[in-house]
Amino acid sequence: MSGSEPLGTEKIYFREAIARAMREAMREDPRIFVMGQDVGAFGGSYREFDGLFAEFGAARVRDMPVAEAAMVGIGVGAAAAGYRPLVSITYMDFMMLGFDPLINYGAKLRYKTGGQLTAPVVVKTTAGAKGQGVAHSQCIEAWLMSVPGLRVVAPSTAADAYGLLKAALREDGPVVFVDHKRLFPIAGAVPLAETTLPIGRAAICRSGTDLTITTHSYMTRVAMEAASLLQSEGLSVEVIDLRTLAPLDIETIVSSVKTTGALLTLEEGQVTCGVGVEVIARVHERLGLIPAARVGALPAPISSNPVLEPACLPDASRVVVAARNLLKNRIC
Amino acid sequence: MFYKISVPPVADVEEIRVLEWHGDVGHRFNAGDLVVELETHKAIIEVRAGQPGVLRKILSDAGNWQQIGLPLGLMSDEESEALPDAAESIVDLAVDFEIN
Repeated sequence: MSGSEPLGTEKIYFREAIARAMREAMREDPRIFVMGQDVGAFGGSYREFDGLFAEFGAARVRDMPVAEAAMVGIGVGAAAAGYRPLVSITYMDFMMLGFDPLINYGAKLRYKTGGQLTAPVVVKTTAGAKGQGVAHSQCIEAWLMSVPGLRVVAPSTAADAYGLLKAALREDGPVVFVDHKRLFPIAGAVPLAETTLPIGRAAICRSGTDLTITTHSYMTRVAMEAASLLQSEGLSVEVIDLRTLAPLDIETIVSSVKTTGALLTLEEGQVTCGVGVEVIARVHERLGLIPAARVGALPAPISSNPVLEPACLPDASRVVVAARNLLKNRIC
Repeated sequence: MFYKISVPPVADVEEIRVLEWHGDVGHRFNAGDLVVELETHKAIIEVRAGQPGVLRKILSDAGNWQQIGLPLGLMSDEESEALPDAAESIVDLAVDFEIN
């Protein structure tokens, strides 16, 4: 609309991309409904469900009490009964309350019933730090990657959020859709045509020859910033946005690392048993001991203190230092 | 004298979308009048004239995007003043803005 977007796209806020995906999917499939805190007339905690209540009404856009275990439980049950619910958990930290129905029942239902039942539920939740302290800031998506039967997506752009949410709502098993508080103020170009984006495909956001950085969600922006800084030092960095964490698009990662010969992983969550560990292990299984390093949050709770919060989180300068050290060791 | 109406500073936001201009080019605003409404990811920002002036040029129409701090339009004290060539050297209009 301002004339700078690619042809055939519209520039919209991240939250509007989510609302658009929901609106199109709900028009197409009457089995889809939304439930969560403030999803109704309020339009969602981040206004990401704006307009849905007015169009689809209270039966399909259901406000719920602060009861995450019940919400996920009802979602999994309704999915087993033939609906396609999207359960909205405002803070990813509180998804922990819904792990029993999601992990013990939803993710295993198809296996347990020999394929007679499935649980096509999407649990949409918001991760990331934004001044809200120890229990409203965590990125625990790595915890979910080890659950057989669960798919986990974590987009970094409005277009990917739109396409992956549409795809998630068509899946036959549970999908956890992770967005990020610091992505909501950002706008991006989204295709005007109704589309979906297949789950399980990473994106190469920047091509390079010296180092591969894999990352996801908000940290993709940090990786891109670090890659620009490293370029000015003469280092060429390839940035891969994983987009889907389970299943991992290992082929895209391996093919990049084959070219660059070094791998740095970046995530906002903890590095211990994090996304990066899994990426590095799988690359090592395929290519042998390629030089690799991880960057993530420091091993401390995320404070709401405006000095301590950024001190704990990865930023471009930490990525640059880690990249320099990694490549220095390789040359030695 | 000419003045710029620029996108006011909003925490966390890099750019905003213009929602609605509350007057066409040539419209005279009094201090306190609503000039333009802007939309962030979660709020509407009402930009009000902090001094009287005539809207002379709209640089960013409704539906367009603009970066924080960059100009949306030009105002002048008098309608008869000739439009300047470049917007860069023009001072910012005194505005009040309210984030709803």
